[in-house]
Amino acid sequence: MKSRLLAICIASAGLLLTASAPVRAHHSFGVEYDENKPVTLTGVVTRIEWTNPHSFVFIDVKDQSGNVVNWKFEGYPPVVLYRTGWKRDVTMKVGDEVTVFGWQARVGGAWGHARQITFKDGKKLYFGPAPGTGDGGKVPPGDYAPAPQNN
Amino acid sequence: MTALRWALLIAALATLPVGAAAQTQTAPLKPGKIPRMANGHPSLEGVWQGGSNRVGTWEETNTGAGPLGESGPITPYAITQRQPPPPYQPWVMKKMQESYNMRGIDEPMVRCLPPGVTRTTLMGLFPMQIVQTPKTIVFLFEVFHLFRIIPMDVPHPDDLEPSYMGDSVGHWEGDTLVVDVTGFNDKTWLSGLGSVHSEKLHVIEKFTRMDQNTIVYEMTATDPETLTGPWTRRATIMLRPGTRIREYVCEENNEDVQHYEEMMKNPSLFMRNPAAAPATNAPAPAPAPATTH
Repeated sequence: MKSRLLAICIASAGLLLTASAPVRAHHSFGVEYDENKPVTLTGVVTRIEWTNPHSFVFIDVKDQSGNVVNWKFEGYPPVVLYRTGWKRDVTMKVGDEVTVFGWQARVGGAWGHARQITFKDGKKLYFGPAPGTGDGGKVPPGDYAPAPQNN
Repeated sequence: MTALRWALLIAALATLPVGAAAQTQTAPLKPGKIPRMANGHPSLEGVWQGGSNRVGTWEETNTGAGPLGESGPITPYAITQRQPPPPYQPWVMKKMQESYNMRGIDEPMVRCLPPGVTRTTLMGLFPMQIVQTPKTIVFLFEVFHLFRIIPMDVPHPDDLEPSYMGDSVGHWEGDTLVVDVTGFNDKTWLSGLGSVHSEKLHVIEKFTRMDQNTIVYEMTATDPETLTGPWTRRATIMLRPGTRIREYVCEENNEDVQHYEEMMKNPSLFMRNPAAAPATNAPAPAPAPATTH
């Protein structure tokens, strides 16, 4: 029983350590985006860029005063989206009302990185990777790492 | 442990079928039935996902809820042991800590540059296709539309210039394809953030198809200038029926370089430990590729 638990812990620890996990990002989430600033916004799609290395979706969001702000969200490249439930011009179109969950850019402003999009019918699809992708994860490399402070 | 870490751990545990994860084999599993070429060698043809251990189509195996999105049954040939990190020399560890502190802003891939062999074969987000003839095996990678041509049973050319993806030659050892790769430049990373290597990097890869769905991959890298010894790691590469390689032109709308240059004007906004890293040593966002030391 103990060795089973140990095997599961080791296998799942492997998922948490970027040194042994498959490479899944070409750039760092953490340079531009802050995982401590989650945002969930509902708005109307005004533009979609199906481009490499990132797709972008732009949505008009009404704030409490009724002012409209256009938010820009970054996501996966189209090749990834096409394999995980997305189809250009079908799944999401300009004019659709969607809810985007993601994280705000460190510099603030109406700019973020999208994780999941929820459509009006309740369907959910991932538009971008999870936070921390590509920026080294939670564990500093090696024995020489400085004592972690407010990661 | 933070709430996020707990969530990640719970998500990871939830994706593991108890039986497969619990195997502590002392002897490797025997291979099952595999397709073969007309000349009797195993066929490695198909479209594959490196670094995964899930069986099924791309959508079945990549739309889970966890951070890596893995879903579906695990192959019986899954590598369950934790793989060791490269044995870096101390000066490389220092570079890695600097890069870690800067959250990898110096990532060469940000400029759409080829990631090199050790980071591409297991690039799980994008498929690779293997096309096999008796004299030449070709790997086609969707990521940045890269390729590797592997001529069989010949030596490396004697006129190699250093390159991102190195020069590969192959031969069979029984049912294992062995690929020898040299001729690297020093402009890629070996693995994690800041893991620089030299032009003396030498990689030996072994591909063994175990069943219809699974290739077991073993890679050994040596580099006398950056590593204290060989780095060996194993992983599985999984067949993805129905997937085709698509076009990925990284250069077409790359805003990252400009964003990174903007962020470098105020690095305390994103540095992990602003007090620790001296500004003069801060790695700049992937400029003209630097030599290692």
